[in-house]
Amino acid sequence: MKLISTSQSSHSGGRKTAIAQVQLIPGSGGTIVVNGKTAAEYFQNNAVYLQNLLTATDLVKTEAKYDAHVVVQGGGLSAQAQAVRLALSKAFVEMFPDYRKAFKKPGLLTRDARIKERRKYGLKKARKAPQFSKR
Amino acid sequence: MSRRRTPKKRIVMPDPVYDSRLVELLVRQLMREGKKSLAYRICYESMNQVADTTQQDPLVVLEQAIRNATPLVEVKARRIGGSTYQVPLEVAPERGTALAIRWILSACRNKSGRPMAMKLASELLDAAKNAGLAVRKRDEVHKMAEANKAFAKYRF
Repeated sequence: MKLISTSQSSHSGGRKTAIAQVQLIPGSGGTIVVNGKTAAEYFQNNAVYLQNLLTATDLVKTEAKYDAHVVVQGGGLSAQAQAVRLALSKAFVEMFPDYRKAFKKPGLLTRDARIKERRKYGLKKARKAPQFSKR
Repeated sequence: MSRRRTPKKRIVMPDPVYDSRLVELLVRQLMREGKKSLAYRICYESMNQVADTTQQDPLVVLEQAIRNATPLVEVKARRIGGSTYQVPLEVAPERGTALAIRWILSACRNKSGRPMAMKLASELLDAAKNAGLAVRKRDEVHKMAEANKAFAKYRF
C-alpha cells in the first residue's frame, strides 16, 4: 500500500503504532475515503472514532472543496482514527496556513508521543514487579 | 501527590453523541479494564432506554439524576488529640458530581441479574425522581454530617 505523491497536499500522521497517510484532492463533497471505504464504514459508525476525524475537518469549512484519500495501517481502530486526524490536520494546515493557530490550540498538530513501554527483564510487565518475598 | 503546588485541572472533552461533559464523566467511570467503547455502548443504550420510558431528553433526566445524588456535605475523619472525629465538610461542586456518578454506578453494580445498561437506566430514572439507592446514599451522608455538626469547628 503506497500513495502516489503528487502536487496535492499529502501528509502522514501517527498514533501508537498506527500510521496514516492522507492526500487532499480537490473535489466536491468533502468525503473521506479510508483504505477504500468511506470513513463511517471503516470506523464502524463508531461515534467516538468518527469524532476524531470531524474535529479536524470541522475547523476548516473550506474542506468542502476537498476530498481526502487516506491509507492507514497498524495499531487499533482508535489509534488509527487519531493518526488520521493528525495527518488530516497537518495536510489542512499546509493548505490553509491561516488556520494554524486554530489547529495548534487543541493540540491537533502534536504527535502523541506515548507508545507502549517495553517489558524489562526481572519484571513481569514494563513496571510490574514480582511480589517481594523476604526469604 | 505533590504537596508543592495544586495540580492543574484537566478539561474533559464532551462526548460525541450528546456533546455533554457529564456523559463523558459517566462513561469514564463506567469503563472497566480500559474498555471504553463498551462503556460508551452501555451508556448510550441506557440513555435510549431512559428516553423511551420518559419520552424526554435523556440528558435532562441524567442531569436531574446526578443533581439529586450530589451531596452538599460529607464527613471526613480527623485525629485531634488522640481521638478521631468525623468532621463535616462542604463538598466542592466537582467532587460532588464525581461522588454522585460513583454512587449511581455502585448502586447499579450491586444489583444483579440484569444487563448493566438496564440497571443504569432504572437507577437514573429512580435518582431523577429522588428515589433509588444513590439518593439514599446521599441522604445517609447528609445525616452523618448533621449528626457530627458539633465537630464542624475542626474544619480544615
